[in-house]
Amino acid sequence: MSKPIFEIGAQGVDTAKIVADIQAAVSKKIEDGVYADARIARAERTNLVNLRGEDQFLGFYLKCLHDAVFVDISDFEIRERRRYFAPMLIRLKKVIWGLLKFYTYRLWSQQNQINGLIVTATEGLDEKYTAKVKDLEARIAKLEKES
Amino acid sequence: MPTAKNIAFISPRFSEQGTVGGAETLLKKLAEHAAAAGRKVTFLTTCAESHFTWENKIPPGQRRIGNLDVHYFPVDKRDTAAFAQIQQAICSGGHFTPADEETWARNSVNSEALYQHLREHGADYDRIVMGPYLFGLIIAASRIHPDKTILVPCLHDEAFAYLGLMKKMFAAVRGLMFNAEPEQDFARRIFDIPDSKCSVVGMGIDPFQADPKSFAARRGLTSPYLMYSGRREGGKGTPLLCEYVNAFRERTGKDIKLVFTGSGPIEAPSELVPHILDLGFVSEQEKHDAMAGALAFVHPSTLESFGIVLLESFLAGTPALVHAGSEVLRWQCRKSGGGLWFRHYPDFEEELSLLLSNEDLRKRMGAAGREYVQKEYSWESVEKRLFDALDRNG
Repeated sequence: MSKPIFEIGAQGVDTAKIVADIQAAVSKKIEDGVYADARIARAERTNLVNLRGEDQFLGFYLKCLHDAVFVDISDFEIRERRRYFAPMLIRLKKVIWGLLKFYTYRLWSQQNQINGLIVTATEGLDEKYTAKVKDLEARIAKLEKES
Repeated sequence: MPTAKNIAFISPRFSEQGTVGGAETLLKKLAEHAAAAGRKVTFLTTCAESHFTWENKIPPGQRRIGNLDVHYFPVDKRDTAAFAQIQQAICSGGHFTPADEETWARNSVNSEALYQHLREHGADYDRIVMGPYLFGLIIAASRIHPDKTILVPCLHDEAFAYLGLMKKMFAAVRGLMFNAEPEQDFARRIFDIPDSKCSVVGMGIDPFQADPKSFAARRGLTSPYLMYSGRREGGKGTPLLCEYVNAFRERTGKDIKLVFTGSGPIEAPSELVPHILDLGFVSEQEKHDAMAGALAFVHPSTLESFGIVLLESFLAGTPALVHAGSEVLRWQCRKSGGGLWFRHYPDFEEELSLLLSNEDLRKRMGAAGREYVQKEYSWESVEKRLFDALDRNG
């Protein structure tokens, strides 16, 4: 988690200044990996359309996604909430899971491969275009200086 | 001496109880204040209650409600499939023609009976004030007496704003009354309309007394809580708010609750559900008490032209966190000093942590927001702007 980093002591409330300070600090924290968290990737999924204009965001989001991309296909504890026949129901569920496991494992392992490939491809594209934009900006700056 | 003595107001829905959308509430309040100031006011609306089905639920006819003469007209039959198909193309940036736009408007909510009333009695009205902009009813009604029509668009930066028929409507009407300066700036950017046609009016916020402690005590809330009030749907950003609060709880370990008032389903992660208090529709007093006791009011919508509930929460002395994607909400927060805006989760986490840890700042922001609403959105200030807009065009 991140700790609050601001002490606001001035009399007036300049919220534009507070937000600007927070954004600068957030930018630094994103670079430091404080927010590379799968939970943020999930939380942010309905906000992606609003973040198209944020330069830094795609790289950050991909970092978060890296941790969220793989579906958990491990075994899990089988429980039963109903009080009556619970031991019997648990045994039944274990048998069903035992039968299905092979097929679901095959299905989800393929899904994980695809998820991984998509994230890698997107990261590759992001890196490629970020580098390209950086080069172009440097060239423009150089040309502007020369003229 | 007022030149606009006899005024008709039009909106697609009118509710005695105030359980319709923000735009309809705005039109109703402006009409009530114009009537209270001695102007003759007629309110024209449809028999529909739901903006999803547009089913005729209220009996047609004329009724006296408060100080308004309200005329209810039945909604026409519509081809919902044709409407949905074109709406999908508009929203997804697909291909559609000007004829499709007309078909879309024709199959939105319409009322031939209301148009007939306007054709027969339009000459009696000095001004016809109508809104919001994106309904077939308003598009068609504005074409009947454009020289008398003042549009209250409640405009957002969304696909519908860029339709050719909207451009024609904004160009043809006599005047435009906006809720906030960023809304006006946006309209002028996309429609190229002269300054002389535009006014920023907004809506007055009725003063109220609220007790910050009573709501939590009544509801047994012992942890700090965030509040949202209004429709719960994707377009309003409520699923995003739930996701953010859930992530905040998990990442920081802080016990923050979430209180909702209003209508619609709440889409929330299952882990968050026990920490949500959904009050549905509550009395204004209950809503204001809840606002006053909240750590912050959160408005996660990017499509707002005014933000009535934001201003109410300011008046309750509570600071706000709003989505930076809404130019209007950001502007209200910046101008008042009563709120902060977030672009994404990291901003949200920092800002919420700041409000949790700095009670002095929270109080000062609350006071700044309250002072702003008392000054800018008292009915005295709004009425002056409203009557200037109605009479100036005369």
